[in-house]
Amino acid sequence: MKIATLKALARSVVLESLRRKDLWVVAILGFLIILAAGTLGFFGFDGLQVFAKDLAVTVVGLFSTIIAVLTSFRLIPDEIRNRTLYPLLSRPISRIELLVGKLIGSIVVTWMSFIILCGLTAIALEIFQVQFTVIMLQYVLMKMLGLAVVCSISMAMSIYLTPNAAATLAFIIAFGAPMITRALTMSAPTVDVGTRTLYSVLNGVLPQTQLFDLGGRAVYPNWSPVPIWILGFLLAYAVVYSSAMLGLGWLKFRKQAI
Amino acid sequence: MQPAISVENLSVQYRTKRGEVFDAVKDLSFSVQPGEVVGFLGPNGAGKSSTLKALMGFVEPKAGKAQIFGLQAGTPESRASIGYLPEVAMYYPFLTPVETLQMYGELQGLKGKDLRVQIDELLQVLGIAQAAKKLNRSLSKGMLQRVGIAQSLLGSPKLLVLDEVTSGLDPVGRKELRHLLRDRQERGATLFFSSHELAEVDMLCDRIILINKGRFVEERNVGVLKDELRMFTLEYLGITSLVGLTDEWSEIGPNRFFAKFQSKAAMLEAIGRIQLAGGRIVDIASAEGSLEDYFVNTVEVAA
Repeated sequence: MKIATLKALARSVVLESLRRKDLWVVAILGFLIILAAGTLGFFGFDGLQVFAKDLAVTVVGLFSTIIAVLTSFRLIPDEIRNRTLYPLLSRPISRIELLVGKLIGSIVVTWMSFIILCGLTAIALEIFQVQFTVIMLQYVLMKMLGLAVVCSISMAMSIYLTPNAAATLAFIIAFGAPMITRALTMSAPTVDVGTRTLYSVLNGVLPQTQLFDLGGRAVYPNWSPVPIWILGFLLAYAVVYSSAMLGLGWLKFRKQAI
Repeated sequence: MQPAISVENLSVQYRTKRGEVFDAVKDLSFSVQPGEVVGFLGPNGAGKSSTLKALMGFVEPKAGKAQIFGLQAGTPESRASIGYLPEVAMYYPFLTPVETLQMYGELQGLKGKDLRVQIDELLQVLGIAQAAKKLNRSLSKGMLQRVGIAQSLLGSPKLLVLDEVTSGLDPVGRKELRHLLRDRQERGATLFFSSHELAEVDMLCDRIILINKGRFVEERNVGVLKDELRMFTLEYLGITSLVGLTDEWSEIGPNRFFAKFQSKAAMLEAIGRIQLAGGRIVDIASAEGSLEDYFVNTVEVAA
């Protein structure tokens, strides 16, 4: 896999996405919501800080996930529909390189949007004199890994389904997986062995996106930073899960007639 | 020497949304030698684009094999020597022509100064230097086609596979393109292109390959074919039997006749007979035969 190839593919995704300007709309909207809600002084000073952080984490989480799905679910279908895939695949590149390059591009766009959102949020939180802690930085880093996983799921789905169905399923997985996996875990002791095995398989297949969400720890004070080895484990999990999604997409795309 | 393109018993199948299978290409065989300019002709739905897609690896052949300079067609290695222009392609609407060419150049393995020089040269030659920094979405169809041609020429490929290359170009653009393609051929490139524009085929090709309904019909040397299609006409006074020389003979006035010949030799023999019989030649003309008529007749026969 050539680095120059991946770089060229990813750069085109980033340039296109930035010039479309739709990502900026989402970012600005997120900022406005945080700012508008933050101006409501319903609470005392201490409560307001927690409220502002909670709102910021929720809005940033929501919008960055939407951005992750939106940047990745149409990459490959658009390439096929617009026939931009022909001149691309006429080059000496393999289809897996194409997928990896596109995925990297969509992850970079998502991360850029997320960092802009975080930057704007930081400015908004500054108004409430919120202290920035190590765990907030860990929240940002882990969220970035979670977003990469969402991008890979969205792109893999788009190879098997229509773009709209892929986006819908990606949203359901991104927002619903934590609830589903929690429900599976909680109900596992009450079911028979066969069903429990099925639950375990489902738990393994579904992404554990809640692991990447340190929002709760970042919002409430007195949480100590997460140990490095856990962050390392999450990084490994993100890489493995994203690679699996990439592999799943490639299984169909490698022989797909275009 | 390895053929630039070698296709043996190639079959390409598609499945419709209703699950029906149809053969876009069936048992097709042909080859193209290095340095040749070959036109790939056929009516709509003949299987031209499907064949080109199989050569590029966009579809997997159902049977048979295709090779590019001895390498299995469709692999990244085989594509390294190909410049491909798709029949209808869009280029990223939010990139400029320069960015588009830079991306394709980098995918081709070009970089640095070499890539910049090639991009500048192609932008100049193809007349898109003025639009180099505009977004692709603001370019006309013709300008986009030029961007497409430029990307296919990046890296000076040994083989150019062009699908409907003149589509969207105005007459000036077509003429410039012919010069450009001839220049590439003189530098050793092989050209293989499909086209509906028989005039372009006439002006550019050494050889044509004709297919219909996915099957090979015939291949012809363009020079020989044009000689065969050339028509010789004669207008003369005085009745003379031209039996055995032509079937196309008519009286166009009192004692005035018109005859059409397939070969120069037949016409010269007719002139001899007319003069021997005391007739007088009024007019002699030679006209190029129509590739279009040849195309239509051959396709009809093959259908």
